Formats: sequence, structure tokens, C-alpha cells
Amino acid sequence: MTDYIKYLLSPFILTLHAWGMALGGAYAWVGFAVLMWVLCFDAFLKPSHHVRDTRYPWLYDAVITCTVLACFANIFFYAYLAGSGHFVGGAAQTGAFLGTVMIGFVIGAPPVHELFHREGIALRTLGRIGQCLVFDPWREITHVVTHHMHTATPTDPDYARRGDTVYGHFTRTFPGQWKESYHLEKMMWTKRGRKWYDLRNAWVFKVAYFSLFLVVLFSVGGLVGGGLACATLILGPRMQLEVFNYCNHYGLVSATPGRFKKHHTWNHLTPFTRILALEITNHAGHHDDSYKPFYELAPDEIGPKQPPFILCVIMAFIPPLFMMAMKPLLKNWDEHYANPQEREIAARENTRAGWDELNDDSSNFNSGAMALA
Amino acid sequence: MNDVRAQRNLAAEQICSVSVGDSNKDGFSVNRNDMLLKAALDQGIDYPHNCRVGVCGQCKTKLISGKVTPMVDLALSPLTNAEIESGYFLACQGKVRGNINIQIKLGQHHVVPEQQVAGRIVLWKQLPGEVIELRMALETPFQYEAGQYGFLAESGSFVRRCFSFSDAPPAEGVGATEVGFLIKRLPGGEFSEWLFKEDRTGVKMWLHGPYGVMGVDDADLPGLCVAGGTGLAPVLSILEKRLSSSVHATFVVIFGVKFANEIFAMDKLEALQARFPGRLRIIPIVSHEPEGSAWQGARGLVTVPLDDQLGVDYRRSAAFICGGLPMVNAVEQKLLAMGMDPERIHADKFMPTG
Repeated sequence: MTDYIKYLLSPFILTLHAWGMALGGAYAWVGFAVLMWVLCFDAFLKPSHHVRDTRYPWLYDAVITCTVLACFANIFFYAYLAGSGHFVGGAAQTGAFLGTVMIGFVIGAPPVHELFHREGIALRTLGRIGQCLVFDPWREITHVVTHHMHTATPTDPDYARRGDTVYGHFTRTFPGQWKESYHLEKMMWTKRGRKWYDLRNAWVFKVAYFSLFLVVLFSVGGLVGGGLACATLILGPRMQLEVFNYCNHYGLVSATPGRFKKHHTWNHLTPFTRILALEITNHAGHHDDSYKPFYELAPDEIGPKQPPFILCVIMAFIPPLFMMAMKPLLKNWDEHYANPQEREIAARENTRAGWDELNDDSSNFNSGAMALA
Repeated sequence: MNDVRAQRNLAAEQICSVSVGDSNKDGFSVNRNDMLLKAALDQGIDYPHNCRVGVCGQCKTKLISGKVTPMVDLALSPLTNAEIESGYFLACQGKVRGNINIQIKLGQHHVVPEQQVAGRIVLWKQLPGEVIELRMALETPFQYEAGQYGFLAESGSFVRRCFSFSDAPPAEGVGATEVGFLIKRLPGGEFSEWLFKEDRTGVKMWLHGPYGVMGVDDADLPGLCVAGGTGLAPVLSILEKRLSSSVHATFVVIFGVKFANEIFAMDKLEALQARFPGRLRIIPIVSHEPEGSAWQGARGLVTVPLDDQLGVDYRRSAAFICGGLPMVNAVEQKLLAMGMDPERIHADKFMPTG
């Protein structure tokens, strides 16, 4: 039964965050502090290859459903508190803001992602509406269609090529996703013989529920509270998700678009990251079968691995550091995971990035210790 | 004991039966949550297909009963709205969720497994009509069937495009050591612009395939081939293969281009004509040739010659059509109107991707 209890960690941290915000003052940092402590502690742990108990899947579904609903409650609560002047002083304001940013990303986004991949209408609808929590109701379509079909190729807007910094990635991924969303939505309404404004079109429904979400947010928090809550969602789940995408396929190449192979993604398999991120960091399994619920994903024990999740996210914002960490991993990937055609693409990508040393067999990048951790 | 029973129950739950139409003879089993097409091909079942990634629509299947989940919204597939509403789905994108009954015509021939081989360009030759004849010597023998295609990519490039083989394959079970393609330039197309920029002889390439099913039918049937532009490539492959396989099957080839000075590869057709005397008739036709030009041949769309005067017994011939989507659709409609059996119409509809 312990497997089921593990996933209560997210709602527990969320509750602590809400409790800390309600108390105000220094307690506004509680959620942020606990979450960061767990992630940092996790960074020192060995990868976990444990396969979950799947006898009672409804228990897992109940936990993540409650987590999504609690995240809605949390963002409204934060908007209300921030808008009513509850947080006195910069420290409390900053703690509550940062906590809501990071919790929105680490605890809010994973169950939303999990649910919009589900087949059941109820859970999938909750996942779709839950996309308000990542401040982009259109995120699903480019993710499910484009990202999953074009993994590790430049035709996927979520993909970062070798040498790309996260800042450059932001400037490419957002316009790429918006353009692709429009293209796909248009295809759907055209195929069904509808006008663009037809009320049955998915995008109309998305506009409706996202507008309602914003109306409630600003009604509860006023201009200041609503604005700050929106800022937490944009800086947290919305942007950090792209940091996650940036890291998760960074520099990997596929010679067979549309045919995902397990080596086309990095994995982060430390125990608490797996739990908090609902196994999304157990990424090969997710791409291999995106309909598979998180509790059925089996870790790819021999797949390519990155440094601990929190470290990757932080390093991504410091490009020289991130590249320094990634180069040996990519070298190792080229030598041990890529097929011959992919190795040739990787070599050209190295040259494009100005990383010719990775094409040199006598270079110092031959140690793949981190990759094999 | 309970554990053993539980494992057996679990195994039983994981296996789904796929029955095809009313007959039991074509049925097979797949694992629950498997993609239908992949599971069928992995078992060597000749399931109609082409691209395997939801683009071509060749694996269109009607679901009679049971549950199949499409990987993406079917409105993003080549299926029409009417087809979606009447229960069609794409087998390459459909995950089997339980026992199902489907409507699909399975083939009976051996499926050639996927291969990924390297090679070098040994011939890069510009032909009329902005077409390149490309030949590639392969490092490893590559098996394919007449009418199939493969993905070509330059070594080191993410960009890959699919092209039909223009040669007849070697004997069954023998891999080709050299393959040929006819490639049309598509302005702005990443691959074709790269290819046309300069002579690419000697460049290393990767070939991934083979895909598609088009040239398979009774060997002795008379054939009608209709090719638009570089749609001639698979037609050449099918023609050579079928002319060699039968001692008396005859063929009519209608080869359409826009202008007379864009007609290419006639030497290849004429070589086949000379090799199989009296068995091949060639009708080049031009659709946009100015009135009063020196062109003495047929004019109009490729559908124009498809009438009673053509000398083809439509009711007992097989048709092989390759070209752009609108052209292929128009030819199919015309052939059906002329009384051709729909199951004898074999088409490869390509969409320009450059």
C-alpha cells in the first residue's frame, strides 16, 4: 500500500503551502522551503527502478484528481490573500509568490499533463480544464500531436538542439507552439466542415473555460491578486514546463520521426522526482505509450539519464554550466545509444553548435560516468 | 495457486482477438493497447498500409464492434468527416482496447521487413521537367517490392523524404545493391532544393523502408498504368516486374506531364517496350501544352484517354495509378465509371513535401 501513500506527498506539500500562506509572515515560505528541501534531498539519492503496485488504480486517480482540484483552490486562495494585503512585507510576499510559482510547476502541472493524456472522458476533461493551471489551454494539442509525433527532431517546437540556450528556446518554442496550435485547430474545424467560430470547435470551449477561470481569479483577488496569481502561473508552470521540455530531449536526435525509440529521451529516476512529477521524468515509458497511466510506467533502467531534475532546471538558466554538464552526456549518448544514422546527424549537430570537440574521439569527453549514474 | 490463476487471468485480459469481417479465417490476436497496424505487421500479416504515421490513410479500417482508441484526433488524419462518423479509423494510429471486429481487405503476400541502410549516390542526372534521376549504391542489400517506396536522407541531416523505387526488385528474397529514384524539384522544398543545388554524386545517403503496397495483384492480369509526373517511378518498377513475371500480360501506360518538353524517362519506357515486344503501349499526354505547338501526341488530363477507345477491358484488368492526390482520385472515379473492379485499382497518392 505504500505506493499509493507516496503520491500523497504532493497534496501534503500543497496543504503545507496553503497553511503557511494562511499564517502569513515567515510561514509564507513553508511550501517553497519544504518543496525545495525535498527536491534537493532527492538529488542525492540513487535512481529508483521500483515498479508501482497497480492493484487499485482508482486510488491513484483519486489522489491526482484531488490534487488538481486542490491546485485550483490554491491559486484562488493565493489570489485572494495577495489581493487583500494579507502578506505584510517583502519577505512574506516573496515567499508566497515563489512558493506558488514552484508548487504550480512541480505539483500542479504533472497531474494536469497526466489527465489530458487519459482516455476516460471525465478525467480527460478535468485535465483539459486543468490546463488553466499552466495558463495555456492549447498546450495539450501541440504536446499530444506534435511533440509526441516529432520527438527529438527540429520539427517539434518543444525540442532544443545542441547549443541552444533556454533563453533562445523560449523565443522559438512559444511562437512555434502557437503557430502549430492554430494550424491543428484549423485542420480540425475545416475537416468537420465548420466555420472557425462554430461553438462546437475545441478552441471555443477552451476560450470559454479559460475566460471563466480568469474572471473568477480576478473576482477573488482583484487586480493585484489576480495579476500576481497570473504571474505565478506564467513564471511557474507555463515557463518552467518549457524548461523541462528543453532539458528532457536536449540535443538528442531521431533519424526516424514518428517512430519513438526509448533512447530519444533523457530520464530522471530519483525517487522523489518520480513521485512529485507523477513519473513524467520516467520519460521513455511515457513517450513509448502516452496513454499509459503514470503508475504503469516502468523505468528505463538502461536508458539515457540526466543529472538530478532540480539541478537540470537550475543549470538550464546558466547556459555555460548546462552545456558543461550536457556535453559528456551527449558524447556518451552518441557513442552508446545512437544508431549509425543518428550518430551522423549528431556529429553535424555538434558542428552546428560549435562543439567539434564532441566529434573528436581523442577529446576529454569520453567519461560517461554521469550518463550512467 | 491464486497467484498463478491471477497471472492467467491477467494474460487472458491482455490478449485481444481481432476478427476481420464475417469470416474467422483472417482473424489474429494482439496484445491489449498495441497499435493495430504494427501488431499485425509484426506477425507478418499483409495489412494494407503505407506511411505508418497517420498521413497517407492507406490503413483506413472500419470498426464494426469493439473499442479502438486513436492516438490523435481523427480530424487530423486524411479520413473524411463522413468516414470518421461511419466508424473508420487508421490502423497505424489505433490502439486496440479489447476484442474487435473490423472491416479490411488483408493481402496474402509476404511483408518485407523494415531496413535502414547506407549508400552513396552513383548517378545524379538532370532530366527534363526539373526531375533528377538518382541512383544509389547500397552498403547492404535492400529488399523491397515493386511499387514500394523508401525514405531518403542525406547523411547527417534530419530532413528525409519518401520516394518510390523506379527499378524492379531483384528476385524474391534477394536484396538490391543499387536502387533508383525519380525526384521532382519542389520550389522551397528542403530536400529537393538541396538535391538540385549541385551534382550530389558521391554523397552518402540513408535509405529507410520499404513502405507501401501497390504492385501486388494476379501476375497474368492485363494492366493499365496511369502516372502523373514522377509517379512514373513506381509504375516503371511495377511494369518491369510484372512484364517479367508473366509471359502474356499486356500493359497500357498513360504518362501525363504539363508540357511536351517536360516528358522524361521515355527511354526507360521504350527500353521495356523493346524488351517485351507487343506487350506494352505508351501514351504520353500533356495537359498545358500551348495550342499549335509541334506536339503531335495526346493532350489533356490523364483521364481523357480512359474511354472505350483505349482498347482496355476494364472489367478484367488491374490498374496501377501513381501521382498527386487530385489526379489519382479523378482516375479512380473514371475507372470505376468504366466498370473496373475497385479491388483491382491500386493507387499511390503522394503529397508534395519537397
